[in-house]
This record gives sequence, C-alpha cells and structure tokens, in this order.
Amino acid sequence: MAKLRRSRRLDVVLALLLLLPAIAAKAAEDAWDDSWGDDWDEEPGGLVWTGFLELGAGVRLDDDEPTRATLGELRGRTETEWAAERWTASLKVDALRDEALNDSAIDLRELALQFPVGSALDVKAGRQVLTWGTGDLLFLNDLFPKDFESFFAGREDEYLKAPSTAVRLTAYTDLVNVDLVWTPEFEPDIYLDGERFTFFNPAVGDIDVFDPPLSVDRPEGLHSGEVALRLFKRVRSTELALYAYHGYFKQPTALNRRGRATFAPMEAAGFSIRGPLGAGIANAEGSWYESRDDGNGDNPNVPNSQARWLLGYERELIPNLTGAVQYYGERLDDPALLRAGLPDPRFAPDKWRSLFTLRLSYRALRDNLTLGLFTFYSPSDDDYHLRPTVSYRFSDAWQISGGASLFGGSKVHTTFGQLQDNDNVYLRLRRYY
Amino acid sequence: MKPSAWFAAFATVAVSTASAVAAEQPLTDADAIVARANLAAYYAGADGRSEARMVISDSQGRQQVRQFVVLRRDVSEPGYPAAGGGDQEFLVVFSRPSDVRGTVYLVEKHVDRDDDRWLYLPGLDLVKRISAGDKRTSFVGSHYFYEDVSGRLPAADQHELIETTDAHYVLRHRAVVPDSVEFSEYTTWIDRETFLPMRIDYRNSNGEVYRRVEAQAVETFGGHPTVTRTLVSDLAGGGSTEMRFRNIGYDIGLPEDVFSERSLRAPPRQWLE
Repeated sequence: MAKLRRSRRLDVVLALLLLLPAIAAKAAEDAWDDSWGDDWDEEPGGLVWTGFLELGAGVRLDDDEPTRATLGELRGRTETEWAAERWTASLKVDALRDEALNDSAIDLRELALQFPVGSALDVKAGRQVLTWGTGDLLFLNDLFPKDFESFFAGREDEYLKAPSTAVRLTAYTDLVNVDLVWTPEFEPDIYLDGERFTFFNPAVGDIDVFDPPLSVDRPEGLHSGEVALRLFKRVRSTELALYAYHGYFKQPTALNRRGRATFAPMEAAGFSIRGPLGAGIANAEGSWYESRDDGNGDNPNVPNSQARWLLGYERELIPNLTGAVQYYGERLDDPALLRAGLPDPRFAPDKWRSLFTLRLSYRALRDNLTLGLFTFYSPSDDDYHLRPTVSYRFSDAWQISGGASLFGGSKVHTTFGQLQDNDNVYLRLRRYY
Repeated sequence: MKPSAWFAAFATVAVSTASAVAAEQPLTDADAIVARANLAAYYAGADGRSEARMVISDSQGRQQVRQFVVLRRDVSEPGYPAAGGGDQEFLVVFSRPSDVRGTVYLVEKHVDRDDDRWLYLPGLDLVKRISAGDKRTSFVGSHYFYEDVSGRLPAADQHELIETTDAHYVLRHRAVVPDSVEFSEYTTWIDRETFLPMRIDYRNSNGEVYRRVEAQAVETFGGHPTVTRTLVSDLAGGGSTEMRFRNIGYDIGLPEDVFSERSLRAPPRQWLE
C-alpha cells in the first residue's frame, strides 16, 4: 500500500513537470516583448504583479523512510507593492502543492506596512522576513526563524529564512542606529519534525523515523513574545553592531514537565564586526545565550547556557571564483552537570564544538551559470554536510537549479551525523512572470 | 581614465569656457586629458540621477533586460576640489526583471582605498557585503563590469596620447598592475570638445580587440553633455549589451543619508520616481 502511494506521487510529479511550461506560459505575461525603441515602456499604472511558478523534485539517495521524495512540489508566488505618499504596503505569498507530504499550503512570506515616522524612524509592521548578523549560513545573533526543512530539502535559499509576524522599528541617528523588533507571539524555527527527514531520537538512542511526527509544546499567546535589539554603526568601512534578545531557543531542545519537547526561555547578547581586510571581507561575531531555566546547568531537560563565536573571511580567488571560510565555535556552560542528569550520557553534547565552513562559488556565462559548493565540517563532532549546487538562467523568465544535500558523521547524535540517512538530490524549474 | 565610463551618464565639462579654450588649443598631456575625461564622464554636477535600461544579447541573439535607477553623489570633504575627482556614492535600485526586482546595490567609491560595496537581497532581507576584488566581472549578467558602474581610477593605468585628430584625442592605456585586469591595453577616443570617451577598444595580449564600448548618443542636460545610449560588444565571444538612459537630472540636491543602509531596506522613493 505504501509503495503504491509513493508511485502515485511520482506520477503526479511527472504530470506537473509536463504541465508546468503550459501553465507558466499562460500565467506569465512577457514584459519584454516591447520593442527596444526610443519610447520606453512607462511603468504600468497601478499595481505591478510579479512572481513565479516553480516545480521542484527531490529524492532520497540511500533510504526510503520516511518518504522517498524529499521535495515534490508545485509552488506559485505572487508579489506586489502598493505605495502612497510615505506608505508602502507589500505582499508576497506562495501557494504550494507539496506531494512529498501530500499537503497543500498557503505560505504568506510578506504582508506588511512600511512607513517613516518623522525623519529618522522607519516602521515595518506585519508578516516579514528578518535578517541581521554577519554569518554565512551560520547564525549567532540572528534569532529570527529559520526553516531548516526547506534548507535541507533544496528549496531556494530565500526559504531558509522563515517569515515572522513582527513590528520592526529602525531609528537612524548620528550617534548610532537602532533596530528594535518585537514579535508579539513566539516564532520558532521550522524544525525537523520527522515528516521529511530522519534524525536522532534520544528515547531510542539512535536515528529514528518519527511516526507520528514529533509534536512539541510551543509557547503561545502574547506573553510568549520576543524582543530583538540591534545597535549598529559604521565607522569608515567597518560595520559594528551590538545585539540583545529576549525570547526562547528557536529549536525544541527542552523537555517540559509533561515530557514533551518544547522551547526553553533564553536571553542573548552579542556583537559583530565586519570590514575589508586585504582584498576580501572579514567578519567576527560573538554571542552569549543565557538559558533562563537552567540555573546551575544541571537540569538535563533544559539546554545549557552557551557561548558562540565566529570568524569569517571571503575574497575573490580568481575572477568569478569566490572563496569564503568560516570558523565557528560553541562552548556549553556546564555539560558535566547536564551529562550527570541524562539517562544515557553518551549522547550528551560536548562542552566544545567547532565547525569550519568553506564556500566556493563560480559564476560563468555572464552569471547565467552558477556553480557552488558549501561545506560544513566539524572536527569536534566528526561530522559534515555538503551542499553542491548548480543553477542556470536560460532567460529572464526561465531558471533551472539542481543540487544535493549530503550528510555524514561517525556518531548518530551530532548536528549533521544524525542526518546521515537523509542524503538527497533535487532539481527545480522556475518560470518568472 | 574610466574606460567604459558612461554607466552613470553624468558627463560634463566642468567649466564650459575652459572647454572652448581647450578645443582651440589641443592638449598634449595624456594625464591631463584623462583627468578631464574622468570629470566629464563621472562628475557632472554635484549629484545626479538617471533611469537606465540594459538589453543584453547573447551570441545567439537571445535577449535579457535589466532596468534600474542610478543615484549618484559626490562626497565633498575638505581637501577635495569642488570640481570633482574625489570619492563618490552610488545607489542602484533594480525594478526589472522580476527576480532582481527590489535588489539594491550601494557603492562608496574611494580614490585612496578599495571601494565599499553592498548588495541588498530582499528575499532574505540580507545586506551582503561584496569584496573589493571582482570588479571586472559581469554586472548583473550584462557585458558591463561592476567597475563600469563606479569607474576605474585614472591612477590605475598609465596613459599615452598616440594621436590627436580633428574630433578626438586617441589614447592608449596600460594597467599599472597588469595581473589585476583581463586586458593587455585599451585605446580610447575622447571627444575634444566634450571630453567624453566615444569609443574604447580593449586588446588582449595578441593585440586583438576583444571588447568594444561605444557611445552612440549624447545629449546635454543642465549644461552637461551626457551619453544617453551606449553599446558594449563582446567581439571574441559574440553578444552585446545596449544601455539607454532617460530622465537624467543633475544637481538635484540628493541628501547624504540617501546613500546609507536605510535606503537598502527602504529605497528613497521620492528620488527614484
């Protein structure tokens, strides 16, 4: 029965693949048909609607559980902006048919109102994607929600950032600029819940297929809000920032009294600096996560307080080939106490974690062809994650992207080691309109 | 000399009377001609704005389009001559095609150190810093280079006046650091009256012209002769990019804070429309 279901899914994916060009062509109005004469096309009055249709397919390489397909979707994006006086309203919404999970969804990426108050304050309120900090696919002071399921399944990079419903105030002054983001109701990461990927289950001491999917208790209501603060300033070419955060760990790494996974309260403070060094760009970032419910660090159900730090450097190696390296470290406050409280201390986290990343990206054919490789390697965890990518832009409308997410490690409970049964390859075809 | 210096389309002759004198009495100093051409191509007025549209054609004739607004401001700091030649700031806001709509490119051009460059990617709300190196690589998929946006410093090349015709100064330029560029040398035809570079031929080490930039139309705005149509051709691989400018204005009073991180997330609409 399960087998039959899977093959039917593949049929649907194939049918969508064949249909897409027709659907896309119908939906898309080619804006570039106009002659390149002396008369410019005036921007059409009223709203400008843009977006894309995308078909994505991805399969698991070495296992069938929990699903053979890691990606099987038809996604339609619509976006527009409406501006009047000093107000801008923006909308970005995806409609999604997800064959891998047999699910349909509306993904509201942005629905926000942006306006200045006076001359030095900008407000953006509503659903929006938020990003700050200096890491490349590593996040210390950026405690806005990430979508790791999309990241590992090979969706477009932008989906790594999940939207928040929040109010962002940014004040610009000569002394310092201030960003204040209030998220009235806690927005966790879109964590792996077992529906698409397998990972370590401490209850069985091994990598597990979570069926039913992991269910967690999530702080809800207005008392669960988050506040994130950034003070930033540029001194000549160097960007400096200080950060503070009040909220929760973004992953469900705690257990509550009912024995259910949940998000431990935390506070964070940190800094970052970024600027030119030699022919490249160097950055450094540090952060302290204070686990509010983990007074002595001896509660095995609550994550330890921890320090995180990052050093990065990026430069062009030869024309069109850019290389970037990062060193990232984590130090848990007191894992010995944590370990003592765990049923199986073998799976307790280590006090120190180190991680190196290497990004190589090569652009050819005037940027129409992009080849990339992003590598995570942790000497302390003895695990890795490789992300080769290739993308080709046929035209302003058509774009094809492919890649793989590969994982490995000597242990079953480390960050990437636990994902070792999830190797997958994917292909996405996109039609912009 | 800024080789393909029309990107900003802010061409001028700083003082028109000086220009008239120059036209009668040909200049003979290559560095002086290049300095004048630099001002003509990049320093018209204290600031400027222009809408730009590129049509990129590959060797098989397939076309792509880019459309954007460029804002430019000269940084007037003590010690810099008011006539220009110093640091500048550029803000480039893209409106087409749809996958780059909302992308913003901010450049601070420095004459004494590497430029600072940022790219804002709206899908990720990401302010990405771009390293100084890759300036002679494709600008948003066109045959123009990043360096064409903000210009190449006159001091980066050695200049030689090889001919003075009725209409043009013809100069040959070689990079001070040859390994830093893809060309072996390039030749410019600089208009004797406007000091605008009208044609640039880039040669490889075999002496073959593999890249050509041509000014195809010049109009005057606010007293500043300005290139309004330009073509860059890839003579080796085939393909070309044509760029046109419109709604050009100079000395429009762009405030300093337009060229800041604020404009990446909230593009300054009043100056863009």
